[in-house]
Amino acid sequence: MSITPETKYLTIIGSSAGGPRILREIFDHLPHLNGSIIVIQHMPAFINESVCRTLNTCTDMTVKVAEDGEFLRNGTVYIAPSEVHLYLLENERIRLKKGEKVNWVCPSIDVTMKSLIRKPYHKFMGIVLTGMGRDGADGLVYMKSIGAITVAQDAETSIVNGMPKEAAQTGRVDFVLTPDQIKNKLMAELGY
Amino acid sequence: MKNTVLVVDDDELIRKTVKRVLESAGIEVQTAESGPMCLDIMSQGFEGLVLMDVVMPEMSGWDTITAMVEKGYAEGNIICMFTGKEVPDERMEHVKEYVLDYIRKPFNNEKLIALIKEYLSYL
Repeated sequence: MSITPETKYLTIIGSSAGGPRILREIFDHLPHLNGSIIVIQHMPAFINESVCRTLNTCTDMTVKVAEDGEFLRNGTVYIAPSEVHLYLLENERIRLKKGEKVNWVCPSIDVTMKSLIRKPYHKFMGIVLTGMGRDGADGLVYMKSIGAITVAQDAETSIVNGMPKEAAQTGRVDFVLTPDQIKNKLMAELGY
Repeated sequence: MKNTVLVVDDDELIRKTVKRVLESAGIEVQTAESGPMCLDIMSQGFEGLVLMDVVMPEMSGWDTITAMVEKGYAEGNIICMFTGKEVPDERMEHVKEYVLDYIRKPFNNEKLIALIKEYLSYL
């Protein structure tokens, strides 16, 4: 009898201005999901821990600030720390690295999304939330090319509709959803 | 001082209304009617949350934030834009990392208080 490897689910959520309150809506009462979630929220470094602490009180998942070198764990949400880019090595390990700003920001959503690689039994979802500019748009196009489900927040609930609009205009977004619908999509795709 | 909100807006009615609403919830509020006045208050060691109007004569909200960043005043403070504008100025992307949220005018009193309290808890 052959043993089938367990499917690994990895979700990347990118957000900017207005993101903390949208993230709170998505994570509010979110159960322990089968997979790992990386959150790239553009924010000043001194509130990394506070944002993490707030989200931790919302969900059954473990929410922590990502650390260099750690392996992704099931049921855990990793908040990207400010002032470094977050790369995923083999989709399984976090690498934090200083670098030039991309799309005027560091960490950049595009950088993290583009660090993923297509691998058997690895499933991805990419989500772009509220924010100014176009960070995340190219990242979602790339994620779509390696088989991810791609999502942009809808215009009505976006505090700033720049990033979701740019993402949707690429034509590579599968779903345009409200925060509540994004929560339901996460639960449906990852399972709990 | 860390629980203080600095309302920067050239509209006196807005400044007074926001001050009254937030103070009714026990939040300490300072006001500035212009970008230069905001920078003056920051230079005296302000720590807290800055609620910044976008369109102001003499110095816009974005220009004020740019000056805050250059002078090191943005460090340790939360900045939220306070705006009636639908679309933010895309030319100001270089300071967008410093802006945590956009709060729309007109605002709902309860929602404004809840949001400001949450952000103050970050400090």
